[in-house]
Amino acid sequence: MTITAPERHRLRRAGLVAGALVACAGLCVTAVSLLSPDRSQTSLLPSPPASALGFARPTPLASDAHLARWAPVDAVATARRAPDPRAPPVARISTRTPEHTRNIVQLLGRTRERSGRLWVHVRLAIVPNGATGWVPRRALGGYVFVHTRLVIDRRRMRAVLLRDGRAILRAKVGIGKRAWPTPSGQFYVRNRLTRYRSPAYGPLAFGTSARSPVLTDWPAGGYVGIHGTDQPELLPGRVSHGCVRMANRDIVRLGRLMPVGTPVTVH
Amino acid sequence: MLDQIDPSRAISEAADRVARTTRGGLLKQAGVGAAILLGGVCTPAAAAATSQKQDQAILNYALVLEYLQSSFYTEAERMGALKGALARQAEVVGAHEREHVRALRAVLGPVAIARPRFDYRGVTEDPSAFRDTAVAFEDLAVAAYKEQAPRVQSKELLASLLSIHSVEARHAAWIRYLAGRLPAPDAFDDPLPRRRVVAIVEDTRFIVAPAKTSGKKPPRFTG
Repeated sequence: MTITAPERHRLRRAGLVAGALVACAGLCVTAVSLLSPDRSQTSLLPSPPASALGFARPTPLASDAHLARWAPVDAVATARRAPDPRAPPVARISTRTPEHTRNIVQLLGRTRERSGRLWVHVRLAIVPNGATGWVPRRALGGYVFVHTRLVIDRRRMRAVLLRDGRAILRAKVGIGKRAWPTPSGQFYVRNRLTRYRSPAYGPLAFGTSARSPVLTDWPAGGYVGIHGTDQPELLPGRVSHGCVRMANRDIVRLGRLMPVGTPVTVH
Repeated sequence: MLDQIDPSRAISEAADRVARTTRGGLLKQAGVGAAILLGGVCTPAAAAATSQKQDQAILNYALVLEYLQSSFYTEAERMGALKGALARQAEVVGAHEREHVRALRAVLGPVAIARPRFDYRGVTEDPSAFRDTAVAFEDLAVAAYKEQAPRVQSKELLASLLSIHSVEARHAAWIRYLAGRLPAPDAFDDPLPRRRVVAIVEDTRFIVAPAKTSGKKPPRFTG
């Protein structure tokens, strides 16, 4: 029998393929044997230890819808109408409050000058209430974030503390008499005072950025506080010089739940 | 590579920008201090009795670094100054770092140190400064974990810390890529001694004393 040239070529190709397959099989056997050590080798590879830490799936940040930001004032600064060192001044901001705590400002926004300088738009604790201004970022300390908001309804004489938009505390309040009204608007909690000896303020008092629009000569500037009382029987009612009064039980609860920097809405 | 951590501009520039407090003073004021970052040095003689304490010190050391990173990414995400790939990196890595904090705090329980206050001095609001600082932080974390690994007494704990360490290395590669730097510049990475880590963190002045916002003065509010 004679084999033609094309058949010889096909046979040679088939032989090469078969040879390659045998070689591959040999390599696979070698690899498998290397990856499957015998018993003596297995004993050298003990099981890995269990983890001491409990790991969970990373979770993204919660919504910022109810987030407020504040920063301490680290250096005396001039708040200006615009983010520009030549803009008209609005107020001088000190580093301390009249109560000798660190002054803080609520952050509303920020922008960067062409020169690269960062400016922060802040709510100010000055008269008129509601004033805002721009301060250089370098005058402020580290940012702090809070998820709470206190809403004071003057008509119903009620306060509601919200966390992430949900009410976590409700209380009856006393507000300013008609001659010395509690101002309406957007404010923030500036400090927290305790262990003082002044029963009229109860066991705890929060200072706010709100100021009485009429008692401008009041000692320390006429800042509006949120505090306890030694006359709980007057609540709710128009009983104060502008401060928001609560029963001592309620102010203590508020003290546990409301951090400094919390925005305050009075309407 | 590790020698380049501090000169990576962001950290040193951030430190230079605000030079209001003496070096090292802020860490002490914050109650964190070098003592916490340097804690856990264990003498061989007391090894058996102190191995658990040593592991706790290593965990707390790791926790401080994780606090530093998680607060950094969280603030960057909340300030909203980052866009595109950098914003995505901050979002993903921030979630990882927060999970590292949660896991470390859970295992430390009551001996976990409290989260210090941070002031990133505008770095989280500037994409370029953020990127450079993130490179420095991730390289720092990788080198710091590596240095501690041989000191860990508990095998279970070592396994856990290694699983964090490799993720930190991925973070480092990711942000290095975004910064246009070689993600893996060397065949071998060096560990970074704790004193060097402390010095670098101190130099940033990112750890600050909490603002004193409460007091005992009698109120003078309108009443």
